[in-house]
Amino acid sequence: MYAARNLRLCTKDCVCLFVCPTGATDTEDGQIDASKCVEGCRACVDACPSHAIHLVMQRYPEPVARSASLTESALALGTRKLAQERAAGSIADGDAQPGAARLARALARSCRILAEDCAREAGYMTPQCHATRALLAEVAQQAGGDSASVAEKLIGSL
Amino acid sequence: MPDSQVLSAVFSNLSKAAEKQRLPDASALFSQLADHYRQDGDGGRDLGYLAEQFAGDIGAEYPELRKAAAEAAHRGVLRAVTWGEKVTKTQKALVDRYASKGEELLAGADLFICEACGFIFLGTEPPEICPVCKAPALRFSLVK
Repeated sequence: MYAARNLRLCTKDCVCLFVCPTGATDTEDGQIDASKCVEGCRACVDACPSHAIHLVMQRYPEPVARSASLTESALALGTRKLAQERAAGSIADGDAQPGAARLARALARSCRILAEDCAREAGYMTPQCHATRALLAEVAQQAGGDSASVAEKLIGSL
Repeated sequence: MPDSQVLSAVFSNLSKAAEKQRLPDASALFSQLADHYRQDGDGGRDLGYLAEQFAGDIGAEYPELRKAAAEAAHRGVLRAVTWGEKVTKTQKALVDRYASKGEELLAGADLFICEACGFIFLGTEPPEICPVCKAPALRFSLVK
């Protein structure tokens, strides 16, 4: 685990500069240099007076297991929400009045977020989990065009 | 492999997850896959159709998923159902209010969306805390 800074919380007390053994916290962009950060050191995390530094996991645990039928039901609801996103999108792009078009754009975005939440809870929770890896392997075999190579790149990098 | 229709949401969600893990390259690649599986608009629909869909979600789909999640005692799915059901109720309420008030409903007011749970807020400033998922105001974005 290496340290990362939440720039919204950082109050520039700069205690991290003095406690860091390697100078990883002293960067131009304000973010902590992960390549210099010492695995699990957490000196800056504990020293920061505004709780603006946290440790980022490098190995995420597997999501809690769920049954195949629960996965299927969550994905089915996600599919419905995506169909609603498309319907709302067509209303927004059609000849609706300005207020109705704005409402439809909000509904489309809201439905996408709900569909994503269903996908997440169906088990595709982290980029590194088994379910995601298995899906990427299938996409790499079956998808056409650039998508197969995109999936392969992801399998290689995660 | 799940139905390809839903893969766009699977991958756009993973794109967000990768961004939160500070993996910008992986995030961009997942986003490409999300676009690959994104389907075309569903033409010829109106707000009345969406109201029917939302009513179906509230009356049948979310309660069924809640039952399955409760039987499996799955906290994560139960959490998603709780938020999703509340957000869908607000989606339906907005469409119903538009049906009765028309353009007047949105005159002089902005729409804000909670990026964490999808809650839509109609007003002049986003709420301090999302009433559905308790995310702070900075998680809201303006719908233009």
